[in-house]
Parts: sequence; structure tokens; C-alpha cells
Amino acid sequence: MATQAASPTIALIEHAEKISQGAEAKIYRVQLHPAGSSNDASPVATEHILLKYRFHKQYRHPTLDASLTKSRVAGEARALLKCVRSGVNVPGIRMVDAPEGVLGIEWIDGKSVRFLLGGGAEGEEGEEGEVDDDSTEDTAETEEDPLQEFSITQDSVMELIGTEIAKMHQADVIHGDLTTSNMMLRLEDKAVDLYVLERAFSSTHPQSEPLFAGVLRAYEKKMGKEWPAISRRLDDGESRSTARPSGTALMLCVSETARS
Amino acid sequence: MQTFRYDHLPTEISTVHVALYTDVENSAALRSRIVRASQLEGAEGDAEREAVNFAFIEARLICSVLHLQTAVYQALLAQAQGALRTKTVHSEILWALNPTNNITEAIRRYGVADASKSLIVVRIGSPDLEQGDVNEQMHKVVEGTLAPLDELSDITDWASIKKYYKLNGEAAVKAAAKDPAREQAIVNEIVTSSVAMKSVMG
Repeated sequence: MATQAASPTIALIEHAEKISQGAEAKIYRVQLHPAGSSNDASPVATEHILLKYRFHKQYRHPTLDASLTKSRVAGEARALLKCVRSGVNVPGIRMVDAPEGVLGIEWIDGKSVRFLLGGGAEGEEGEEGEVDDDSTEDTAETEEDPLQEFSITQDSVMELIGTEIAKMHQADVIHGDLTTSNMMLRLEDKAVDLYVLERAFSSTHPQSEPLFAGVLRAYEKKMGKEWPAISRRLDDGESRSTARPSGTALMLCVSETARS
Repeated sequence: MQTFRYDHLPTEISTVHVALYTDVENSAALRSRIVRASQLEGAEGDAEREAVNFAFIEARLICSVLHLQTAVYQALLAQAQGALRTKTVHSEILWALNPTNNITEAIRRYGVADASKSLIVVRIGSPDLEQGDVNEQMHKVVEGTLAPLDELSDITDWASIKKYYKLNGEAAVKAAAKDPAREQAIVNEIVTSSVAMKSVMG
């Protein structure tokens, strides 16, 4: 039981399972709504959510800290809703407590694209796996291709990524930290979902140029007539100078019906 | 009727009773009773306000139990933080459900209307308030049939929801136009997410 004085959201976090901690936020998994009790019906099913807690930063002035935290939670929630409305596959929003710095979103069960492309699991930095250099036709099967579980080829994953990023950009949402560690695949009912998370682990895929070409092809296709201008900027290398916006932490998911 | 207990919330608002009524026959009388209760003074006024101390919600505008729970939860948070935008935690649920900041519009659309046929009735209180007593109190004010919450899916009026949330031109919704089940899942997700983040809608 929580004490009366504690903030409800902090009390909720005290009962949550901590998943990870970064410099900016702590991540928890928790059930927000209790199962209902009833004398005449079956209990309502409840889902787990992911809580992202932007904790207080001691090194910042308290007033500045409170205002930054609040605006970042708000900014992230707005960007997510924009994505949801625009058909970009992102986890839905489940609760917002901006004064406490907490955003609650739909829980996604899946595996990171970094892991699935042989880049190792999150946190296992330095352990670079093998990535197949061959982008044509059959993906040569390494001993245990983690992608097999999803019945999807590497090329299809690249396409999903390109298409979804294009949708996001068409909605004028800039992720700010797009890496394969921030994308997850989920297998649900015959559909493969791909998600982009916010946490930045180093995610290097050696010899990934041909893979990236697959992302760009799908991106180009989805962007349509907006593509030539973007392509020019890419060639100029101008895009490198883009400043990274702070606080745009998104989870992006891409879905595609699995080929059976 | 379902009862949800939130252990991490302050005791006086930790318990949420939710009931779905169909074939409601006294909506017009109920609506004027609520209006009158808000204006009455003295002990009589207190008694009337207590008798209708519920959130009466137009059930056809609710997409799912999660949608409803999300609105209730944000109202509970606002109450716990002393940040209510409306008079009570019950009216705050209606505010959370409406896409705009207009309180009158929220009550007109999401509250009981003269023509309401199905209502979701919510009572927030302490664990001392027993389900049986709440049930009895609801029966005294609502003339209708108590139905399981799962029946909500037969009642939802997706066209009105899409209109209020301006979803007809939205890319995600248009993309699923040919698949009603998928379209409804998308609308449910947009609406639920909108309710969850309304406090920072900006």
C-alpha cells in the first residue's frame, strides 16, 4: 500500500519492474489497470505498459529541471500521437503524468533489429556479430539466423524500416535517434511488427551498406515526389549537419503481414 | 458491474465502479435531475447531489474498456494532484473523453443526453464503498438493463467517434477503410492515446 503523501505515479513505479536505466530516464514495466472484480461477469483483461520516468536531475536547477522534464514528456507524447494518427506504427499512449516526468505507453514484446541482424543483444557492446553482406535473393543462412523465427528476410526488414521512416517524416516527425537498437520486431497473429525504441546503444553493423540501400529504396518509394529533393541533400552531405533535437524519443513500429 | 481497485492511488479515490446500462428509459429525466441537483441548496441539495454522484457517460462514444479506463485514470491523477479542470472527479472523466478543452461541449457530448439509450455509469470512491451498495444506488437512478462491459462493442458508434476526433481524413484511418475491424482498432488506438495525453495536448 502506498502512503497518502506519495505521488500516485511514484507509488506505481515503486511496484514496477525496472527494465533499464539511462542518463535521462528509467524504464519500467507495470500493469496500470487492475483486473476488475465482478459478481456477474468475467474480469476485464489488462495489459502491461512501459513507463518512462524522466527522474529529477540533481545537477540542474530545480525550476529548470521541472520545466524541461515537463516539456520533454509533453513533446514525446505529442510526437507519438502524431505518429499514431498518421499511421506510423508506434506504441499507443496509456498515461501521462507530466509534473512527475512519466509517460506510459503500450508494452511491446519483441526483439531488437540490432539483435536480429546479428549485432548482438542490447548492452552487449563491442560484440559485433556477422552480417551477411549479400543483399541479393536468398539471405545466406548463418547457423542460427534469428530472423527465421519471424519468417522474414533481411531485405523485407529493410523495406519495413524505410517505409515506416518515410511515413514518420511525412507526418513531420523527426525521431532524432534512429538506430537498429531502437527498432524491434514483434510477431503477433501472423503479422511481423517492427519497433524503434529510444535508448541508444552502439549499434554497428559491419558491411551494412547494401542493407541500407534496401531501406532507402523503400523510403524513396513511400516519399514519392518529395524524394528528389531529399536525395539531393543526402548526396550533398548536408543532412549530416542537422542538429539532433532533444527529447524526441519515439518508439516506432513497422508491421507487415508475414509471408506464409 | 466491474470494480477496479488502484492500490497506488489515495484511498478516497482508489476504487472505481463501472456499470453498463442498456435500454435506458429515463435519460431525459435523469439529465434534468442532474442539472437540478447542481442548483439545489441546503440539505436537500446535498442529498440530491449524493443520489446522482456518478459519471453518466454516453456509452456509444466509448471505443473500448481501455478507452474508458484511460479517461478515468487521467481524471484520478488530476484529482490526486489537485489539478481538476472541472468541478468533480466524475465530470473530469467527461472532460478527458472530449477532444477539445470546452467543458460544456464535453458534458453535452459525453454526458447523458435526452436521447441516450446506453449509459456507462462510473462511481469513484474509497474501498469502504461496497459494490452491492453502489449497484443499488445506481439502480435507483437509472432505469435500464445492467449489461456486462463486453457488450460495449455492440454499442459503439464509430461514425460519431470519427467525426468528433476528426479522423475521416486521417492517413491511418483511410488506409484501413476496407477492413472495418482494423479500422476500429486504429480508431480505438488514436482515441485512447489522445485521452491519455490530453493533459499535455497543448
